[in-house]
Amino acid sequence: MERSDIYILCIEDEQEVLDAVVRDLEKLEEQFPVETSTSAEEAREVIDKLFEDGKKIGLILCDHILPGDNGVELLIELHKNERTHDTRKVLLTGQAGLDDTVKALNEARLHHYIPKPWSREELLDVSVNLLTDFVIENEENLLPYMITLDAERISEHIRSRHNISDE
Amino acid sequence: MKSGIKGLTPTQITGLFLGVFGLFLPFLLPLGTLSFAGQIGLGIFIMAAVFWMFEPIPIYATSMLVIFLQILLLSAQGPMYMDAKLPAGKPVALQENTWQVPTGALRDDQTVLVVVESGNTEEVPVEIVERNGQHVIIRSEQLSADHEIVTNTNHRLVNYQPNSYTDYIGTLANPIIILFLGGFMLAEASVKYNLDKNLTRYLLTPFGSRPRFIILGLMLVTAALSAFMSNTATAAMMVTVILPIIAQLEPGDRFKFGLALSIPIAANIGGITTPIGTPPNAIVIAALTEYGKSISFTDWIIFAFPLVIVMLVFAWWLLLAFFPPSVDRFKLDMKGKLNLSPKAIGLYVIFGTTVLLWITENQHGIPSSMVAFLPVAALVTGQILSKSDIRNLPWDVLWLMAGGISLGIGMDKTGLAVWMISGFDWGAMGYITLILVFGIVAVAMSNFLSNTVTATLLMPLVISLHTSGVMGDNFNLLITGIVIAISCSLAMALPISTPPNAIAMSTGIIKTKDMAKIGVIIGIVGVMLILAYALFYWPIVTN
Repeated sequence: MERSDIYILCIEDEQEVLDAVVRDLEKLEEQFPVETSTSAEEAREVIDKLFEDGKKIGLILCDHILPGDNGVELLIELHKNERTHDTRKVLLTGQAGLDDTVKALNEARLHHYIPKPWSREELLDVSVNLLTDFVIENEENLLPYMITLDAERISEHIRSRHNISDE
Repeated sequence: MKSGIKGLTPTQITGLFLGVFGLFLPFLLPLGTLSFAGQIGLGIFIMAAVFWMFEPIPIYATSMLVIFLQILLLSAQGPMYMDAKLPAGKPVALQENTWQVPTGALRDDQTVLVVVESGNTEEVPVEIVERNGQHVIIRSEQLSADHEIVTNTNHRLVNYQPNSYTDYIGTLANPIIILFLGGFMLAEASVKYNLDKNLTRYLLTPFGSRPRFIILGLMLVTAALSAFMSNTATAAMMVTVILPIIAQLEPGDRFKFGLALSIPIAANIGGITTPIGTPPNAIVIAALTEYGKSISFTDWIIFAFPLVIVMLVFAWWLLLAFFPPSVDRFKLDMKGKLNLSPKAIGLYVIFGTTVLLWITENQHGIPSSMVAFLPVAALVTGQILSKSDIRNLPWDVLWLMAGGISLGIGMDKTGLAVWMISGFDWGAMGYITLILVFGIVAVAMSNFLSNTVTATLLMPLVISLHTSGVMGDNFNLLITGIVIAISCSLAMALPISTPPNAIAMSTGIIKTKDMAKIGVIIGIVGVMLILAYALFYWPIVTN
């Protein structure tokens, strides 16, 4: 399978948890390379680097409790940034209070909230679903994504939006 | 592998340079009798063919570029011909049947060109008496003092009368394009109100739950829909129908290959059924109409439908033979409810009326392209389609077809098409061989190229075989055209052969090897069947 230039970014300060997230995303990694960072500061650097290389970020999975700026603050900032506006944003946490969660929902247009501990299936389902949204919204040629993402929804989109024509 | 110019692949970069080089190539080669305009036409043809093959730019963009170059370089109003006048003068009479003409008037084959009415010229053989610097003294009994003879036989207007640029840009409003526009708008509305899905649900019910009949049902419904809608949209919709079925199968079950292949195969074949089924049909119909062989909607169905049915049943049998069903029964669970809003009902009425008027064209005689304006006007008048829906129409396909039609007009006008066939003794080939060769070449080419492009590149040859008369009385323009159209739709051996193939392959269910195996068999059997129809069936129904 061809590697796309759409990246998944995981932000989590505990190394074991980060490893677990990356392991659970293994099935997607072949097509959507996974980048990791352990703080908001590092995440910004990774994001800048990726955009410099002409890459896109399709999905961000972010813990709430991080050294420095917390996850919700980071997601709000990324939502306001034009480059990461369309990126699907997931809060993966056990410790965000109601206030923070509401804030993330309202101000960062959080796409999903996954409480810890999570199941591999849930994490994969959510990621596939959100990446499908992302490629449908942002990509011209959807065919390469049918095999890993939601083929039914991609077909449905091709049917109604004619992004492939008879030739 | 992306590198170089704006992310073009090495193949695309090669194509870009080859194509641009091809545009100028005819002026670097000695091309014998080809006129100046023919050389321009050949340059455009080579460039278009190379661009369509290597795709450095999208294929619809190449079509638009073709039209642009034609209005610029070939039209009467373009800079090349706008002030051009054929240089001509009267021969100077010396003695009886002996004339003095400028050296430029004498051609290598010892003829001069006499201007006849409407700017055409006629060759007159002469006998050289004496060369005399800038003049030649010639003898001919066919010349007279009031003849105008061409004084420079290399002039760009020799053997070419440029037509108006409106002929080239007008291809976008060619009746066949308008017919497609009507079809596209009906399809757009059908997708919007889920008519295609609901029809599929109803039509599949009688096929029950036995796998072999479900496959037959899927294929017949896919073919029926793709006869009126885009093959691609139909295949995409049917993929959403089969994915849940495939999810019910064991992971190693080979029956899923058959299921997943049935959709693109049926969508490709289904497009043959009607004039609006698939774009190659348009290229062929437009070219035939230009030469007085107009085909009504009804006629086309009479020609194509019996072949489509045989091909579908054969493909069904083939898929079952290769990938036999592993389970007794399937659950075919399609959810949905018929949309009964006033607008949706409006669509059903418009759809039904239009299709009925199309297929009964022979009975009432109203041309199908005129009927096509019924859905065009009614769907927007009833606001069944909105402004954004209109913008969502596949305009790229309309331009692709328009460019193809325009290229054909240019090739014919400039004498290029006739010149291209002139180097080969076609008459020696025989009619049966000719049909076979065209069928095989069309299937082979369109396995790698767009079906529309294949039809575009081959149709001018068919037309010039007709106009030049080299094939004699045996040649049947109509049948040869139909052979091209149908052959282009029977290419389905590779994922790149057609968009429905690409979609089916992208699901990851099928292997390229299986698609190639089935596709090659269908191609071979298809060409044989075409030959049989061309010999025994079409001659009966075309008279």
